[in-house]
Amino acid sequence: MVQDLLLPILKHEQKKSGYISEAAIKRISIQTGIPVSRIFGVATFYSMFHTKPQGKNMIEVCHGPSCHLNGSFNVLKSLYKSLKIKPGETTKDKKFSLHTCSCIGCCDKGPAMLLNGKQYTLLDETKLKAIIKKCRS
Amino acid sequence: MQILRKTELKAYKKAKKIGQKGVIEILSKKGLVGRGGAAFPTARKWQFAIDTKSDTKYVICNADEGEPGTFKDHLVLEKVPENVIEGIIIAAETIAAKQAYIYLRGEYEYLKPKIQKAISSVLKRSGSKVKIDIVVGAGAYVCGDETAIIKSIEGYRGQAYLKPPFPPVEGLWGKPTVINNVGTLANVPQAILFDDWDPHLRLFSLSGDVTKPGIYEFPMGVSLKKLIELGKPKNPVKAVYFGCFGGCMPYKEILLTPENVCGQNCVIGAGTIIVVDNTHSIVDMAETIAKFYAFESCGKCTPCREGSKRCLDLIAKIQSGKATKQDCDTLLDLALHIHETSLCGLGQTATNHLITALKYFREEFEQKCKLH
Ligand code: SF4
Ligand code: FES
Repeated sequence: MVQDLLLPILKHEQKKSGYISEAAIKRISIQTGIPVSRIFGVATFYSMFHTKPQGKNMIEVCHGPSCHLNGSFNVLKSLYKSLKIKPGETTKDKKFSLHTCSCIGCCDKGPAMLLNGKQYTLLDETKLKAIIKKCRS
Repeated sequence: MQILRKTELKAYKKAKKIGQKGVIEILSKKGLVGRGGAAFPTARKWQFAIDTKSDTKYVICNADEGEPGTFKDHLVLEKVPENVIEGIIIAAETIAAKQAYIYLRGEYEYLKPKIQKAISSVLKRSGSKVKIDIVVGAGAYVCGDETAIIKSIEGYRGQAYLKPPFPPVEGLWGKPTVINNVGTLANVPQAILFDDWDPHLRLFSLSGDVTKPGIYEFPMGVSLKKLIELGKPKNPVKAVYFGCFGGCMPYKEILLTPENVCGQNCVIGAGTIIVVDNTHSIVDMAETIAKFYAFESCGKCTPCREGSKRCLDLIAKIQSGKATKQDCDTLLDLALHIHETSLCGLGQTATNHLITALKYFREEFEQKCKLH
């Protein structure tokens, strides 16, 4: 049973390289015997896998309904102000990638986001500025 | 809160003493039903797996709480992970499974160290030989479906498949598998141990336009008004959404039972209550939720894959002011079709929010439309 190792392997690759490249998929296919097409299928199915290079810091802003009501749009707006990128984009210096994501279970503390997998809640412009500044330094 | 009472492995010891039959008897007598939303009797589910002959069986703990606006499993995993693990080993030993998995949402990965610690400590203290592994998902709402979880653990795209066969008969790698939700498994040791355990208590996730959001524990049948007043809304409340899939209703007093909520054309599901006040637009809510479904549709069947995108297009048209009232009819038509013809639960419920919004708040949509 190698197939059940595929998710952990892809997770590892995503963490190590920041994305799952075509070369990596071919390599994993040779190592596991799982066809390239199936690996590609899995890699593109899950939203936390990326097949394009990502920035060093991964920001995922929750756009669930509770966060929407608590101002997730303003979070995206202030991130646009400081990073000049929209969801799906990466900054020129490759330091940040921005995505939106589904509910992250912090709906009582919205608006919320994940930064490199860690939760940040009750976001406002001042808080976001401080977070970005810390990532930059 | 009842759910946070610790059982400290006393339930496991009792379960060992009373054996398989005793556990099933106690759980069915006490009336423990699944907390994931379907409310299936837990004892019956386990009995199916017991009755299926096989050397290998599995238990899966569904920690894939993905319904937007729901964060009760999050609370349980954070506060009483040991109870959940105790529930898992009781389940596994009752159905004679040697291996259990916890399928944790990718978005909850930050809880993994805590759960891992609870596993080691419970296994060490109990002496149980059940092997428990955590499988972390990678972001897919559809994986909340039992069959999609199985596919995902097997390493495939987490796409749902048609039942039967039901997992307790033929599940993970074709073997009998019991899949229980975090909340169900946390209740197992409590139901076994405490005489005063109340089967009617549920966790409600209250969020949205309230100043005191959070998890509230009440019996099924609690007053909606009471619950929302505890949340202290800032402005007059206009609507209530039962998560994304449960639909919406105008705010008024009802007692929250599955039947009453169903009477409002909604589904109570896992007790998700999202409050919308009169400063927010229902059309904006519709757009947010439609985006969610267009993104999460797994793509396996046409009505949901194509339909969810078309819904989003139509809502965008309405938002832009270029739509006519006829587009509202088309939207409703489309929503009904997706509801009736989709393959799995995701698609079948993906448009509940639109069907109910167009029933109760149609004027908000029409106000954005051209006159003809
Ligand atoms: S209804 Fe949607 S999520 Fe379910 S199988 Fe069809 S496309 Fe996939
Ligand atoms: S809706 Fe944003 S965390 Fe749940």
